[in-house]
Amino acid sequence: MSAGKILVVDDDPQIRRVMRTALIGHKYEVIESRNGGDALASVSGEMPDLVLLDMNMPGIGGLETCQLLRNGSDVPVIILSVRNTEKDKVAALDAGADDYITKPFGMEELLARIRAALRRAPSSPEGGPHALTTPDFQIDFDLRRISVRGKDTRLTPKEFDLLRYLVSQAGKPVPHRELLQAVWGPDYGDEPEYLRVFVNQLRKKIELNPSKPKYILTEPWVGYRFVAAGEDGEPRP
Amino acid sequence: MNTDFNRRAFRLIAAPAIVALIVVFYFRFVKVNNTTVSLTLLLAILAISTGWGLLEATIASLAAVLGFNYYFLPPVGTLTVQDPQNWVALGAFLITAVTASQLSARARRRTLEAVERRREIEGLYALSQSLLLSGSARSASQDLVSRVVKILGVSTAAFYTKSSDETFRWGPEDPQISDERLRVELEETLLDAQGSFAIIPVRLGGQALGNLGLAGPLPSLAVLNAVAYLVAIGIERARALEEASHTEAARQSEVLKSALLDALAHDFKTPLTSIKAAATSLLGGDRSAEDRELMTIINEETDRLNRLVAEVLEMVRIEAGKLHLEKRPHHVAEIVDSALADLQPAMRERPVEVRLQSDLPEAEVDFDFVQQVLKQLLDNALKYTPPGSPVIISARAGEGRIVISVADRGSGIDEQEQARIFDKFFRAREHRFRVPGTGMGLAIAKGIVEAHGGKIWVTSEPGQGSVFSFSLPVYHREHGQMVS
Repeated sequence: MSAGKILVVDDDPQIRRVMRTALIGHKYEVIESRNGGDALASVSGEMPDLVLLDMNMPGIGGLETCQLLRNGSDVPVIILSVRNTEKDKVAALDAGADDYITKPFGMEELLARIRAALRRAPSSPEGGPHALTTPDFQIDFDLRRISVRGKDTRLTPKEFDLLRYLVSQAGKPVPHRELLQAVWGPDYGDEPEYLRVFVNQLRKKIELNPSKPKYILTEPWVGYRFVAAGEDGEPRP
Repeated sequence: MNTDFNRRAFRLIAAPAIVALIVVFYFRFVKVNNTTVSLTLLLAILAISTGWGLLEATIASLAAVLGFNYYFLPPVGTLTVQDPQNWVALGAFLITAVTASQLSARARRRTLEAVERRREIEGLYALSQSLLLSGSARSASQDLVSRVVKILGVSTAAFYTKSSDETFRWGPEDPQISDERLRVELEETLLDAQGSFAIIPVRLGGQALGNLGLAGPLPSLAVLNAVAYLVAIGIERARALEEASHTEAARQSEVLKSALLDALAHDFKTPLTSIKAAATSLLGGDRSAEDRELMTIINEETDRLNRLVAEVLEMVRIEAGKLHLEKRPHHVAEIVDSALADLQPAMRERPVEVRLQSDLPEAEVDFDFVQQVLKQLLDNALKYTPPGSPVIISARAGEGRIVISVADRGSGIDEQEQARIFDKFFRAREHRFRVPGTGMGLAIAKGIVEAHGGKIWVTSEPGQGSVFSFSLPVYHREHGQMVS
């Protein structure tokens, strides 16, 4: 049985070749696309479990492909790029990617990230919340549904997992490292920019005024804190 | 000339002839009273003075007085000047002649002036149009003088432009508008008393652009000043256009440079990605110790090549001025902590001391780049000093700067090498073949620090150790700005 179907999108044939060989060796099913346009067709036609997306491609680039793909799909996306500045990582995550890996990378690292991206926290972790109702939104964690001010809202799996972890620790400040490891996996912890991007996206989706959040508060130098009742005013200085 | 003279002579004869005709007509054919005769003569004089001018009208007036006196005033057939009627008639005729001829001359002059003005305005308009159509400032200056000659009807035009210290000329050489004269900066238009030449300062917004010299039949001063103003606008416009296209060309070349650097990075790193992915994939499987060793070499050398490519590209970026800094306020402690964390486990083997001034302000820096500088200095301390020797990181503020230092207790650097240690590809003699490196690390560190407006330097005493220091700008909090 396959460990999952992975779509490899890269314009370089050698990279596709090595990826296919290595991933098949690890029991993944592999499909390939040479460009963004093909990738979009493959995602809707073949329903992969994960997409490895090259950032720098002729035609529709990686970022644009990721944005287009996010219009109709929650499939986990890992961006592969030769650039390693924080700005590039943030741009990729903002475009809807779940993770980002810099070329060249070791195969072990890529496999670890693939496992992390495919891993779904069980829908109701033990002792975790099943549902939550606040003045602004209702969440059903079992059905993975959220409705914000009466409107059904789509969260990506990572956004959903992040929110659920924060809710399960409601009232307590959750450190960056703990949050990263709970949502992305044990190999993570030094990527505070991931949290910045995903928390911003969550705030945009659930907060009435994302620049003055009431539910997901920033704890400077520490991490984030969820307040179920909604806190009035600004986050603590 | 000849026809003008003939026409004048004809008029001088025709004027008294008309008077004679009227006198003969009334004397011989139609008998009327004297009042009618005098009124008719008056009308004729009026007509002559309006149409032909004062001289013709005066001759006609004299002829009319003589004829009127001789043929109509009693005693008829004699010239009697005692009669006061004579004086009244003569006065009436002369006053009419003078007044009417002056009025009509004034009207004619006005018409001529209006025609002249129209011609001048048409000339200025043509000049402004042609100036707006010319291309570069240089070709505009060249066009300009030929157009001024053609449109204003002067014989020679010369334009001295201050910016390039050149004179552009059109028409025959004229010593009155020599280069020396044109070079003198003028407050106002220099107009020759005879009207044979003029030098007009060309300025825009109080700034002198040069002088325009004209020789030959000159237009009015107002037109000269208008021409100078038009020339200033035309030249300035051409220069602005030229500058804009230069800026655009420079910008495009910068964009191209950036794109080229990105393409280079991509093209170098893509094959490295395949090699590393393949090598590490093989390493992950079940391998013999020998295979494992060989694959580890491939993997490590791929990393080395990758670092080299990254360093070369970074050096090129710094030298091309393409380093893109994202400056934000950061605490030095944060940068130090993250650099130390990145250099584990090698750093763990060393006694590391961090001495930061207690009330250190935030630095306004690009976190990643400054961290890279600090890591480079720490890495050097690790590489070039004996194992187990201490490393001290310190930071202090002063004069709007924060100075971060990394001190070691190594063998130190001699004075000659201190001066060159931040040069590209420089490697200290002692370490050249002993410690691996490209000689680009400190040059890159210098480029990054300088891009922040800071300085990097080293103090060292052979045998005692070295202190590498760099300065960074302090962050000045704007009023009311929140730092998240």
